[in-house]
Amino acid sequence: MIGMSASRLWNRIFIGLALAVLAYAVLAPLTSLSAAQSLNVPLLTDRLWFRIATIIAMFVVMATAWNIIGGLTGYAAFGNVAFFGIGAYTTGMLIAKAKWPFLLALPLSPVAAAAFAALVGLPLLRLRGHYFAVASLGVGVAVGELVQNIDYQGQPMFGGASGLFLPIFSIGDRGLFFFYLMLGAAAISIAVTWLVLRSRFGYGLIAIRENEEAAAVIGVNTTAYKVAAYALSAALTGLAGGIFSQWNVFINQENAFPIEYNVQMILMALLGGTGTVFGPAAGAVVLQLLIQFLSGTLPVTLSLPFVPSDAMPVIAQIILGLMLVIVVIFAPRGVIDFFGGRSRLSLAYLRRSLRETSI
Amino acid sequence: MTDFVQLVIIGLLAGGIYAVVGVGFGLVWGVLNIVNLAHGALVIVGAYLTWQLFTSFGLDPFLTLPLDAVALFALGYLLQRSLINRIVRAPLLFTFLLTFGVNLIAVNILLLIFKSDFRSVTPSYSGQGMELGSVVIPYVPLASLGVSLLVAAALAFVLNRTRAGLAILAVAADRDAAQLVGIDLRHTYAVTFGLGAACAGVAGGLIAMIQAITPTAGEPYTLQAFVVVILGGLGRVSATVVGGLAFGLIEAFAQSIPGSGSVFANAIAFGLMVLVLVTRPQGLLGRLR
Repeated sequence: MIGMSASRLWNRIFIGLALAVLAYAVLAPLTSLSAAQSLNVPLLTDRLWFRIATIIAMFVVMATAWNIIGGLTGYAAFGNVAFFGIGAYTTGMLIAKAKWPFLLALPLSPVAAAAFAALVGLPLLRLRGHYFAVASLGVGVAVGELVQNIDYQGQPMFGGASGLFLPIFSIGDRGLFFFYLMLGAAAISIAVTWLVLRSRFGYGLIAIRENEEAAAVIGVNTTAYKVAAYALSAALTGLAGGIFSQWNVFINQENAFPIEYNVQMILMALLGGTGTVFGPAAGAVVLQLLIQFLSGTLPVTLSLPFVPSDAMPVIAQIILGLMLVIVVIFAPRGVIDFFGGRSRLSLAYLRRSLRETSI
Repeated sequence: MTDFVQLVIIGLLAGGIYAVVGVGFGLVWGVLNIVNLAHGALVIVGAYLTWQLFTSFGLDPFLTLPLDAVALFALGYLLQRSLINRIVRAPLLFTFLLTFGVNLIAVNILLLIFKSDFRSVTPSYSGQGMELGSVVIPYVPLASLGVSLLVAAALAFVLNRTRAGLAILAVAADRDAAQLVGIDLRHTYAVTFGLGAACAGVAGGLIAMIQAITPTAGEPYTLQAFVVVILGGLGRVSATVVGGLAFGLIEAFAQSIPGSGSVFANAIAFGLMVLVLVTRPQGLLGRLR
């Protein structure tokens, strides 16, 4: 250890800790299997844990998928929740209305989301900066509205305001099954990002992010690359949506197209570091745990003096807003920037970040 | 024919509100290059201020509008001076996230104070209107349209005829050159944001008289303001007013299509916006910059 710089040491400790947590998260649920129970293995998890862990894995998928269009390509997509919703409703409709089996319906979720992204991406990705951001936000809002309100022969086509109920997927241990399914989706999205970053395609995307005109000049087909990145991001997000619909058994506009997910996935990617392979996933774990903690679903909860417990959800939102403001102002390169060992967390670092962006 | 005239009137009256929401939003966007996602929240703060003054002191809602403007100017000035000035040189994603954070805080503070009950401002003359043949023109929205045009004219006057306004235009044209000739950037940015917030406050006061308000009722206005500014073209107050009136008209006619109803308002607005952006990015009246 002698001779190793302090930041490198922290880097190792951080990675070791992350691996230990990951191993526990992946293996602990196995103790709930009846085979393990009959061997008197102590139970390390409960139902609540499954629910939260599955939600966290879901956000790992969404933040990692957003990173492909937002972090690698540099297009500030603000409406990715549309793809989550489309994925959820694709699987949901195929199961509930067409009576398809779940495992047959699920692969069509990413396909539908990617096809939709390619369709809207062709006009939208011609826009830059603010224009793309708000136009994509608008698509997110509009799709949710259309899904809730479209009628077919006088009946709401997608379940309307009362939502869509799916038959329960019968398998021995549902909680365990969906946790591992979502975890698999998370692993796939991280692997896809890793592959993209090492491919010609990934270099093209980064070239577009750094300078789109220059990328076009050196022969990157920018339109095709951008649309492909958007569709890839949509496919992964749609996969999470498809799993969510069968896991949750009930979907409606509110839980399939929640506007706040748009910002949450961006904030997660930002916290962890955009453009990296593991950053968005780390950000998703940390931020989602915090959100769960603030909204009182964890065993450890927050209680403030003088605040009635029914006001806590509102207070939690305010705290989240304050956090957003603080992170944006003080750590524009992501929190991972100093935990990852590239910079040291110090007053000087915070001052420098502040000076770089203010007038 | 009567229906057509009535729809045009409804559209123009609604368009006045969109115009005044849009000019504040467009000013901040054009000068600071910030798309202010908290604009709708500022609108609703103005609406609650009017509601509170009307309910507690029985003040006529139209008389509360100058107070809304002053209070929101102060709030906007402080917001820009303390927070947003710190990220004006950051990538656009950060300005989005910061203003979204401000929006989240503002809406939830309103929820804490006012709960999510519907509130409305109903002076004795609300709901009345004049009948011209078979066409009805309600008084409150008519007066609101008048106020909106007045606010837009006042803003244009401030920008083009006062020292502070010229400083704002100079900063918008070239930030560094403006600083070189001695313009205080931090102050000018804060004044710009304050003016935008003041417009939002007046818009909120008008909205409180026309619809029932809740703390979350402002969010659609942020998106609509964006569409209005795109439609008219960024950079001039008059263009945004035209964008607002056009948006009101389009919405009125879209809602009159049988079967669609009002539920597709956002879908129509955004479809329209994407169409304009792709075919005529400078807006109906804008100049390419």
